[in-house]
Amino acid sequence: MMTRSLPLIGLFVLGLAGLAAMTAAQEDDLASVSAALAPRAEGLIIARCSVCHSPDLVSQQRLPKDRWAATVDKMKHWGAEIADDEADLLVRYLSARYHPAAPDHLPTLDHELRKAEPLTQEPADTGPLVGVSTRGAGIFEHNCQACHGAGATGGMGPKLAKNPILKQDDLFWETVLHGRGPMPAWGSVLSQQDIADVHTWLLTK
Amino acid sequence: MSESLSLSRRTLWQRMAQILGGLAVWHQVRPAPAEQTASPETGPQTVRVMRPYDAETPVREFTSYLTPNHRFFVRSHFGPPAPELIAAANWRLHVGGLIEHPLELTLKDLKEFEQVTITAVVQCSGNGRAFHRPKVPGVQWERGAVGNAQWTGVRLRDVLAKAGVRPNGKHVQLQGADRPVVSSVPLFTRSIPLEKAVHPDTILAYDMNGRPLPLLHGAPLRVITPGWMADSCTKWLTDITVQADEAKGYYMQTAYRVPVTAIQPNSGLPGTSMVPVEAMVVKSLIALPANGDQVGRGPVTVQGVAWSGDAAVATVELSFDDGKTWEQARLVGEDEPYAWRQWQFLWRPKTAGAVTILCRATDANGQVQPQESPWNPGGFLWNGWDHVAITVAL
Repeated sequence: MMTRSLPLIGLFVLGLAGLAAMTAAQEDDLASVSAALAPRAEGLIIARCSVCHSPDLVSQQRLPKDRWAATVDKMKHWGAEIADDEADLLVRYLSARYHPAAPDHLPTLDHELRKAEPLTQEPADTGPLVGVSTRGAGIFEHNCQACHGAGATGGMGPKLAKNPILKQDDLFWETVLHGRGPMPAWGSVLSQQDIADVHTWLLTK
Repeated sequence: MSESLSLSRRTLWQRMAQILGGLAVWHQVRPAPAEQTASPETGPQTVRVMRPYDAETPVREFTSYLTPNHRFFVRSHFGPPAPELIAAANWRLHVGGLIEHPLELTLKDLKEFEQVTITAVVQCSGNGRAFHRPKVPGVQWERGAVGNAQWTGVRLRDVLAKAGVRPNGKHVQLQGADRPVVSSVPLFTRSIPLEKAVHPDTILAYDMNGRPLPLLHGAPLRVITPGWMADSCTKWLTDITVQADEAKGYYMQTAYRVPVTAIQPNSGLPGTSMVPVEAMVVKSLIALPANGDQVGRGPVTVQGVAWSGDAAVATVELSFDDGKTWEQARLVGEDEPYAWRQWQFLWRPKTAGAVTILCRATDANGQVQPQESPWNPGGFLWNGWDHVAITVAL
């Protein structure tokens, strides 16, 4: 009796192992998709979503692709400045990383973000950066104003108009590129030219 | 002067005695090293969202009848309004709409009405959302988006009586001073039916546990609708508008609604009749022991709280065998209509190893806490059996 049922059990175990392997492969696929998209997508989450809420509200969700699409769509409808290609990228990334079967505690993205690329492509090196104040005003409005207030007069974040940090180039760039305290790093979101433009505009305030 | 001096001296002695007593206790039952590190069960608050700040209370805190203000869960859609909007010099409560006499009241004016104090549970409608399967979008609250506090203020019905509600006024719209970062996001505008608004226990509260309402809890004034979920408890209240219909907008017409009858998970919503989240459902929580705790031969005191929306808590039962058998806990402490009821159970574990303690309550209307709550797309009104996983070492 026992020996007769052994092959059956063996088949069952093999079947289970096959199932596990398939699931693991699918998980690997999702993981590689999310890793590939992470630098740009995480930058977008900071630039577009965290205007209104911190990114932790995003990362605690575990949703299927259609719910992620509906959520991104709702946010666009509510005023998040997400272009169509950006929305597409976000939905692909979010549904690969934060899907219903993903564990509650995911490994951090730090190592992936270190190779983050700026959203705007850098022009070929053409000498020292010259900020354009008029451009800086728009970039500030879309990216910085939510925390630093209209006209850089301060809000949740410090007032930047006439802030001494504007005269300390190293500290200013360090803070914008890598973040400080509650301020996120913008190195993966803004180009060097963008930051120079904002800096130039801030000096006129 | 001398009286206050002697009082403060006495207080000082009491303090010293407390400190010495505390030191003695510290020596006897030093918590295990694991318990000293901050965790969701023991930290001051478990932060769900940094901005706008949403945080829940560690359930261990629910061993006390009243939840302290600084530990009380925090939830809002946009965070507190700018301080100048709610400063005493600028803040006004406007009462308008279908009424005879529009009112504009300062906090001082408001305090002319008769003052009342009510102890009531305030619970986020999404408390326990993280337990719904399939998972639903929203802040992933677990067990602690609830608290029990003493609310002091004036009756909403007295304010409405002064304004004079017209016969066609059927709903009372509530608007706070909080605003979204981006103006294209809908305001958090809510309404409650007139019957709830003129209920003698519905109040506009300015004190919480005997202290002025903290900013994160709605200073200077918030609505308290005892027995109802907190989506009706508008914070930073500035405008009351009496209307013929429910409030318009996303947060009343779309959000905070549940299907009238149970629906299949992820099934289509069109055609499903949705109603606003209002009364609380019967629910209990185990405050101690906490998840991961190790207990000995005992007797072990298992304790927690239970509450319901419309009725008193009748029984609280515990199971130590995955729901096969249930034992009744003892209801203890204060018994007030809208507050939670504390309960205790003396447990003598007989076998060593891992145990999951289950807990369920039944209210005086016969409403029983279910093993799992009906799935709904917003993840509201979770009241599945509470459970705590511990280890018995005999």
